[in-house]
Amino acid sequence: MSDARLWLERIRELPIPDGIRIMNVCGGHERSISMAGLRTALPPAIRLIPGPGCPVCICPEEDIYQAIRLGLEGDAVVATFGDMLRVPVNLGRQAVRSLEQAKAAGADIRPIASPIEARIIAEKAAGKPVVLFAVGFETTMAPVAALMAEGLPDNLYILCSGRLTWPAVRLLLDSDECVLDALVAPGHVATVMGPEEWGFVADDYRLPVAIAGFTPASLLRAIHSTIVQWLEETPRLDNCYPEAVKPGGNPKAREFLNRSFDVTAGNWRGIGPIAASAYALKPEFAAHDARLHFPDYDAGDRRHAGEMPAGCDCARVVLGRIQPDECRIYGKPCTPRSPVGPCMVSDEGACRIWWAAGVRKDSAAA
Amino acid sequence: MCLAVPMQIIRLDGFSARCAARGVEREVSLFMLQDEGVVPGDFVLVHVGYAIQKISREDAEATWELFDQILAAGDADA
Ligand code: SF4
Repeated sequence: MSDARLWLERIRELPIPDGIRIMNVCGGHERSISMAGLRTALPPAIRLIPGPGCPVCICPEEDIYQAIRLGLEGDAVVATFGDMLRVPVNLGRQAVRSLEQAKAAGADIRPIASPIEARIIAEKAAGKPVVLFAVGFETTMAPVAALMAEGLPDNLYILCSGRLTWPAVRLLLDSDECVLDALVAPGHVATVMGPEEWGFVADDYRLPVAIAGFTPASLLRAIHSTIVQWLEETPRLDNCYPEAVKPGGNPKAREFLNRSFDVTAGNWRGIGPIAASAYALKPEFAAHDARLHFPDYDAGDRRHAGEMPAGCDCARVVLGRIQPDECRIYGKPCTPRSPVGPCMVSDEGACRIWWAAGVRKDSAAA
Repeated sequence: MCLAVPMQIIRLDGFSARCAARGVEREVSLFMLQDEGVVPGDFVLVHVGYAIQKISREDAEATWELFDQILAAGDADA
């Protein structure tokens, strides 16, 4: 902790530009910031903003609907990360609206902690189709790609909803309502993909950017770096997590990603399509592509398909346009016990993290 | 789900490794570190069952301390 103190002192010594907005795009970063109480520890001139750091929150609503239908009607076992089970789709109150409810209605839905578990489930399923509903950013999709490279059982299919992080940041930087002055880039995405991916923030937009690890000391070091870059008007990519983030990232992981997936345009829930932001199975894996093997249950026009739940402000929270506690229904009725939007469901959702850290409506930010 | 956890390798079996963190043991795939020459005793960052990078003992310990704090806070909230 003394390291963190040291960085805190160094930050306090800087002539901090008033209201500088430093965004993070990683649920893990946001959790460390909130749990360590960095917002209150740092000078009030610094605003730390959670951005698009939760893959569950932006997972296309229509893909969750597809997974629910596969479990209920496709006679398939659906394996997915536990966080996905309670995310609601937009259907009437009487309908089955989440994978958890589908499970209660008799569908075979299996929460998993690793893609390997999907392979084990498939091997034990005696030929019954098993669908791995793969949701995640680069850090999660690389393991899925590794699983594919190792070889999939014939009855294992992949419903791929993987997304890339940096295109969402570019979208924010290109938007008229730019909500950040500096970026703390995600340490584990960079561990896999390499730090170079984040250079565009400094090169193309002349904004400070620093890659951080997950301890308060590492985050503070990165925050310090972005402020110094801002003051000296020398934006550059600073790798403040060299312990894990090596030039080029993890070459094997990137090789598997390249072999398994094409990068295409993809929908982000509540936000819409973002160019070159989605992983899609390569044609070589067509035999395992759940989108090709099963009917498209989303065919037909369901009302509010693709949107966030009614009344939920998650899209603006994800884009950093509002803070979680500025959502009208934060805490009432939306809480982790009865979540309305995905940002309160997922462990990486900003709303859930803030709630867990004790932020209540009209209280000071954690 | 996006959190990568440091673990120490106890023993290897091909691309699979028995790893431990704070007394908890797990099977971890080393498929993405197959060119890195990891050996028992090494520390790795594990994400959704796959080791994504080798790290030092000091980094592993710093991160474990952080998790202890987060878990303690999480318990208090639940
Ligand atoms: S408080 Fe609930 S409804 Fe509001 S943005 Fe967060 S998750 Fe969505």
